[in-house]
This record gives sequence, structure tokens and C-alpha cells, in this order.
Amino acid sequence: MSRAGAWARELLLGARLAVSGGRASWSRTAMTAVGVGLGVALLLLAAATPTALDARDARTAARDDFQLSDAPTARGPRTLLVADVAVRFRDENVRGRLVQPEGRQAPFPPGLARLPGAGEVVVSPRLRRLLAGSDGPLLRPRVPGRIVGTIADAGLSGPGELAFWAGRDDLRVGPDGVRRIDRFGDTGQSEGQSPILALLVVVALVVLLVPVAVFVGAAVRFGGEERDRRLAALSLVGADRRMVRRIAGGEALLGALLGLVAGAGFFLGARQLASGARVGDLSVFPGDLRPATGLAVLIAVAVPAVSVGVTQLALGRLAIDPLGVVRRGGARPRRLAWRLALPVLGLLLLVPLLRTDVAAGERLDPWLAAAGIACVLVGITAVLPWLVERVVRGLRPGPVPWTLAVRRLQADGGAAARVVSGIAVAVAGAIALQTLFAAAEDASTVQTGADVARYDAQVLTTTGPGRPSAEQLRAALRRAGAEAALVREKTLIERRDGTTSVVTVASCRVLRRLAVLRSCADGDAFLARGGPGVVVPAPGSAWRDGRARWRVPTEARRVASRPSVIDGGPTEGVLLTPAAADRRALPGLSAAAAVRLDGRRDALEHLRNEAARLGPLTVVSELTATRADGEFLVVRRGIVAGAIAVLVLIGASMLVSALQQLHERRRLLAALVAFGTPPRTIRRSVLLETAVPVALGLAVAVLAGTALGIVLLRLVGEPVRIDVGATLLVVGVGAAVVPLVTVLTGPALGRILRPEGLRTE
Amino acid sequence: MTGPAARPLLVGTDLHKAFGATTALEGATFAVDPGEVVAIMGPSGSGKSTLLHCLAGIVRPDRGTVRFDGRDLATLTDAERGALRRSAFGFVFQFGQLVPELSCAENVALPLRLDGVPRREADARAIAWLERLEVADVARQTPGRVSGGQGQRVAVARALVTTPRVVFADEPTGALDSLNGERVMDLLAGAARESGAAVVLVTHEARVAGWSDREVVVRDGRTRTTELLA
Repeated sequence: MSRAGAWARELLLGARLAVSGGRASWSRTAMTAVGVGLGVALLLLAAATPTALDARDARTAARDDFQLSDAPTARGPRTLLVADVAVRFRDENVRGRLVQPEGRQAPFPPGLARLPGAGEVVVSPRLRRLLAGSDGPLLRPRVPGRIVGTIADAGLSGPGELAFWAGRDDLRVGPDGVRRIDRFGDTGQSEGQSPILALLVVVALVVLLVPVAVFVGAAVRFGGEERDRRLAALSLVGADRRMVRRIAGGEALLGALLGLVAGAGFFLGARQLASGARVGDLSVFPGDLRPATGLAVLIAVAVPAVSVGVTQLALGRLAIDPLGVVRRGGARPRRLAWRLALPVLGLLLLVPLLRTDVAAGERLDPWLAAAGIACVLVGITAVLPWLVERVVRGLRPGPVPWTLAVRRLQADGGAAARVVSGIAVAVAGAIALQTLFAAAEDASTVQTGADVARYDAQVLTTTGPGRPSAEQLRAALRRAGAEAALVREKTLIERRDGTTSVVTVASCRVLRRLAVLRSCADGDAFLARGGPGVVVPAPGSAWRDGRARWRVPTEARRVASRPSVIDGGPTEGVLLTPAAADRRALPGLSAAAAVRLDGRRDALEHLRNEAARLGPLTVVSELTATRADGEFLVVRRGIVAGAIAVLVLIGASMLVSALQQLHERRRLLAALVAFGTPPRTIRRSVLLETAVPVALGLAVAVLAGTALGIVLLRLVGEPVRIDVGATLLVVGVGAAVVPLVTVLTGPALGRILRPEGLRTE
Repeated sequence: MTGPAARPLLVGTDLHKAFGATTALEGATFAVDPGEVVAIMGPSGSGKSTLLHCLAGIVRPDRGTVRFDGRDLATLTDAERGALRRSAFGFVFQFGQLVPELSCAENVALPLRLDGVPRREADARAIAWLERLEVADVARQTPGRVSGGQGQRVAVARALVTTPRVVFADEPTGALDSLNGERVMDLLAGAARESGAAVVLVTHEARVAGWSDREVVVRDGRTRTTELLA
């Protein structure tokens, strides 16, 4: 038989051995397949993420209704008026648009068969379901019109999007955000992600995917000890060392191939579930989740290659002899030199990036960053077995559980280290991520300056003729049950030279909140000094409000301003009591209010409904102490979701590995119980067997993660800061795996720790 | 040959045990006196190991009683039976069942440590037993690095180190060649007799049963006793 034929026969024999040993063999192979499959499914999901985001971006770009051009679009048969409706329901945004065609050929957005007529609304499927559900009545007043249709997928960012298009006949181009367009999909250049956010995404992807790769490596070793004994038996009947290796390769290959099939199945299942999953406002259509071809091929090739490679590496530490004695080649201690190569290489890859001047707008090379981070993290998996071996070698025996655990770790600490590698990598990555996160959070989060202790929300009516008056706003606030409100009217005035200022009209009670007034009576006028560089109109000076001419009252008194309750900034410009305001000369006055709500449930939602009744363009915003960048929030939520998936995977990996080891040692454990070892002694030793390597893994993770975090901060030009609390939290989550695995293995251990386990027939 | 005692040390009466549809014991009866060596013989699957496990309190019989020193094992809690096995019983199995990660000395010292004996004292006693069983030279080795015969002698030392009143040996020479098997039996029976421990020996080899004072044959879950000449 040819050499290739012999190889194929041996590989096939290995594959056959993986399934021909009865239930035990099948269950071991199935466990490997499920383990590898879970990893493959996560890798496929990651490979499908860019495609999904591209598809989403393409759809949102196609419906974009902002036109960036120097000249305003002239009215014509192909033009359409559009205005944004800022609807928020609980913690979710609803994308609302008012549309009014100006001609028969007005464009309509993707996902709609026609433009809704005046008083008609077309809604997204999820919004339709929400409105039909128990929360529907609470949201319905903010969806202006009769629902006549559903937006098709082509017009949605994702299946979970809340959106509507409402037809109107009362829109006018003006300062309230109504704009004229002649087509959809005319997007301007995107500003792009901030360098820190881009790096955050790269780090997150690497941090989430490296533990998955480590998990796949561990999964192909499930049932390793039984396999070693089987190989010893093959050696007895004449298989030489190379044949044994090929047979083992065949066995690993079968597990990996079944894992690929299982992974594809899990992925397809997860894809179907994806339509129901949302990360913040982000959701994806199952059809969008298509792994990029190149990445899918890479996974299909890399997973079997990794599984065979890991098996061959593991065989290198075994001495398989024909008498069936399988000894660990423990006499040869692990060497540190090559194990340090990976993390050092990683740092060497990252160092050149330090020269990138992020502050000057230079972009970091994402591939170099990803490669550097991956090397550092994968390096942990290389260093950890050496460290575990060195540390446990120095441990002395003590109480029986400790002695049993220490001796087992001394016999093969590498196996334990392999199992905890996933946790160590995930924790190290999470620490680095957290460090970068803190910097990104600072960079993308702003203090609003809002007086949140006294006010909960702000209501702004849009400007222009026919808009609600301050009195109408007060009435709406009373209907909404507001406890207190600062209602005022504002308009922007302009001087001939282009200088602008603000006129505020309010009662003396409200004006006293805005500025320091010694005395105030209806008819008084004041000039509030703002910050440095702010123009304070001079008494008697001439200004314009739109087309209307207006003159600052000559008797206006200069006063010091107080911080705004909305943004903490100084109130500036002209402050008028109602009797001092010539409303004909100030036609742009629109009402605004800072509102304190009563504590009843959904008070904010009721306020939003009352505001919507004033007009669909009335804006209600919740006052918060800080405001974070939306993109940052999406990234953060995505990372949290990914981290949870990875932690579940690692927990499952440790659980399977622990169960596997218990299964392999069941007769020995039963014998220990038979000669009187209390089960609690064995339980404690099993706990310590996990806890010691996890503790070492976490120590390495803290060092590597902190170092990586510092490098990443330097990369983005942020000052180095270590968040000890967040680090401890991440370490705590990693450490929680120990009691969790112990608890979950408890029932299996309970069954094993019975002297009846000695019975073989 | 040990003479008959006033009261048997360990008595199993009318023992029944089934595993699912398979009946292992069907009215087996057994007794052993202090210092007596009794061999339980029978073909594979006859129920001899199950009988040993019932006598040692490892398996609860479905019916029948096991009394050790007058105490019914069924009345003891799991913890009490565990303590009994730890202090009054010793075990030798076919493959030793030594903890592979512990050194031979630590394996022998393990039952003492579990009984609360301080480490130094437990180690000293373990070494003494290993010397007595002629395997002191492998005291610091792990079981994986010693021969089968040496490993089995370590297992015998572990069984005897607590000075048990009964040693249960399940096919103790099953995995050894005849020379090593004889040596192990010599040492086991000799050391047990010296310390006054009774030995319940499960074997299917007549040669091994030759070390016993008495044979009990198990067939189809029932027992039959044969007196032997010393």
C-alpha cells in the first residue's frame, strides 16, 4: 500500500477509534464536538459581524435624509419636506420622521411603497407590536396619525428598530428642523470613529476571540487520558510512534470536523435567534449574519489544524509504552525562554505604534495593534503552565485536602493551567479593556451641568409661528402632573454685523433663578453678563428677530447671571419680564421649561405624551448629570454581550474539563472513600485543585492586563491611570468561576464519592 | 491455623443484593473470627466481590445483616461507616488504587493523616511499614514509577498501617506474576497474623487461597464453606 494510503488508513483508524468504544467513546467525542462547536459558532458570529454591520450601514445610508450642499434645495415637483421627531420611549429611541411631499414625484425612502398621506403613519414591525401590546397606550400619543402600513426590512437598521414615517400637511421649512430634500441616501462623509474607540473595538475583538481559540484548544483535549491509554494499547499491538501520532491525529480530526458541523448548526440556530436580540438600539437581521468567505474558510481550516496540532503537542509530553503504562514526560521541566517569546513579540509589535500621534489625528494601524495584543494575550497561555509548574513544585504538603491537591498539581499542573488559561486570558483582556474603557469613557462622557437634584426633564417647543405658547406649555405641564417648572420663552436675535444674542422672557420668579436681581417687577428688563467674550447687548441697541426689528429697552439694567439649570452655563443676553416684551417685534419666541416630575410610575412618559400633544416637534429630554457618546454606548453594550458569551463558554469549558477529570478518576476516588476518606476531604481537594491554578492565572492576568492597559493608554495618548476597583471587580468575576464550577460539579462528585463506585461489573 | 473464637468478629447473614435485573447475592452467609484468614472463591460474576463490598460496608445489602463486633452496619450513618472503614478496616485492591500523585510513603500515611495523626508521626509509621514490606527504597517515588509488585506491597502497607481488625483484599495478586503474587501474599498474610487482623481475601486462584485458613465458595450468589488443613 502506498504511503499516502497507509496514512489515510491510520487517520481513518483514529477516527473510528473515536466512536467505536461504546457509549463512553461516543459521549467523549460528542463532548469534544459540542465544545469545539460552541467555539466555532462564536468565531463564525465574529466573522459575520463586519458583514452584518456593513449591511446595516448600507440600509441606514440609503434612507439618509440629510443633504449637505452649499445651496438650499429649491421647491419643485421632486422635493419633499422632512423633519425629525425625537421620540424616546423608556430607554429606547424611536426614529420618527414627518414627511410632506411638495410634488407628485417626491422621493420616498427605502422600505416604503409610497409616502404616507397627511395624518397617516407607516411604522416598523417592532413599533407596531409595541403599540399593539400593553405599553401601546403609553406610546401611542407620540406616533402622530393613523397607522396605514409597515416599513419593510430595506428601510430599517435592524429588526428591533423602533421607527415611523408620518405624513403631514403643515410643515414649513424653518428653524425648527424642517428641511427640503430631493432624494434619500445622500450622505456626507462620516466623521469616523475616534482613535480611542477604534482601538477599543480592536482590543475587544481580540480579547473576546483569544479565549475562544484557547477554549477550542482545550476542547480537543477532552478525554485525553483515556485516549492516551488507548494509544498505549495500539502500541502493544505493533503501532510505532509515528503511527500512534497519525492515529491520534485522525481521532482529533474527527472531533474537530464534527465540531465544525456542530458549530455551523449552532451558528445557524443563533442566527435565527438573532432577530430577537438587541444590544441597545442595535439589532441585526438573520440574513445579515453571513460570515465573510475568507474568514469562514480560515475557521474551517484553522480549527482542524489547531486540534491536530494541540494533540501532537500533547503527545510530545507522553511516553507511550507497549505495556500500557502512560507516563507523563515530567522529567523534562518546561522552559521559560520560548514561552516569553510571544508576549515579548506582542510588546515589540505595539511599541512602534507609540510613535503614532493620535492627538494630531494620525490613525493607529489596527492590524498591528490586534496582532500585538493577541500575542501578549496568547503569551499568557504559554507562560501559565510554566508558572504553575514552578509555583506548585515549591508547595509543601499540609492538611490532607491540600496535600492531595498540591500533589496532583505537581504531577500535571499543565493540564490545570490549560483549563484556567481561558480565564486568565479573558481577565487580562478585560483589565486592559477596562483601563482603556475608563479613558474612553472620560473622553466620550461629558458633564451636562444640569441641576438634576431639582429638575428631571426639559421641554422645548420648536420655534416659529403657530407654535405653542408659554401658557399652552404650562397647561400641558399641569396635565402631566409636573411638581414644579421653570417656564420661559426664548428667541435668538442678531445684529447687523452678524453678532447674536438671546432674549429670554419670563416672570420675575423665573428670572430670579436665571440672574441675580435686587428687585424685579413686571415691565423690568435686564442685561445678564455671561462668560468672558460673550456679547451683552447695549441698552437701546437695534437687533433683529428674523425679519422683525427689535430694540433693547433703554432702561435695561446690567445684572450678574446664575448658572443655567439645564447646562450649568451662565445665562446671557437680555432678560425681559412679560410686560417688557414686545411680542410683535420678537416673533421667534418659543417656550422652554425645566420640569420636576412627581414620583409616580411612568411620569416621564406622561410628560412626553402631553408634550407630543402640543405638536410632534416638541422635544422632551431627560436631564442627566452626564451624557455619553451614543457610539461609545453601543460599543460598550456590544462588549458586555460578547464578554458574557465568552465567560459562559469558559465556564462551560472548565465545567466539562472538571467533569471529565472526575469521570477519569472515579474508581480512585471511590477507592479513597472506600477506605474511609471523608467525602468533604475530597471535595476540598477538588476545590483547591481548581483554586490554586486559577489564583496563579489571575495573578498573571493582573500583571499582563495592567501592562497591556498601560501600553494601550500610551497608544491613545491618555494619561496612565489604573482603576484598582474595576480591576478587582474583573478579578472577582474571574475568581467566581471556581465556586461556580465547584457547585456545578457537586452532583457528579456526589455520585462518584460513593464506595459503590468500586464495582466494575 | 487460628482456633475458633468465642464470637465471630464479622458476620454477614442471609445477604441479598441485586443490581438492576442482575442478582449478585442470594442469601449469602459469611463469618470471620479475629486473626483468621478466609478466602472467598468462585468463578467470575459469582458475587464474591459484592459479598466483600457488603461485608466492608461499601455496598448496602438489599436484605440481610452485616455485624462487625456485634454492631449492625445498617444502623450506622455514612460518616460512621466511613470512620469504621478508616480505623478498623484495611483494603487492598487488584490494582492497588494508590493515589498516583502522592509518593508511596504519602499513600501509606494517608489513612493515618485522615485519622488526625500528625504528619511526622504518620510519615514515620508509613516508612516503618514500607520497610517491613521491603519497599522502603520506593518511599519517595510515585506509584507510576514503581513495578506492579512494589505497588501492591505499598497498597498492603497502606491497608495495615492503621492496625486494622479486618483487612479486605480483592484479588490482591490479580495483576501480578506468580513470584510477585506469592511474595505479596506472604507479606499480607504474615503481617496480618502478626498484628492479629482478620483477612477477607477474594480470589479465584486456588494457589492464593492456599494462604487462608478457610475457604468460602460463592456460586450464583450463595456461599458454601470448606475447612482447610493448615
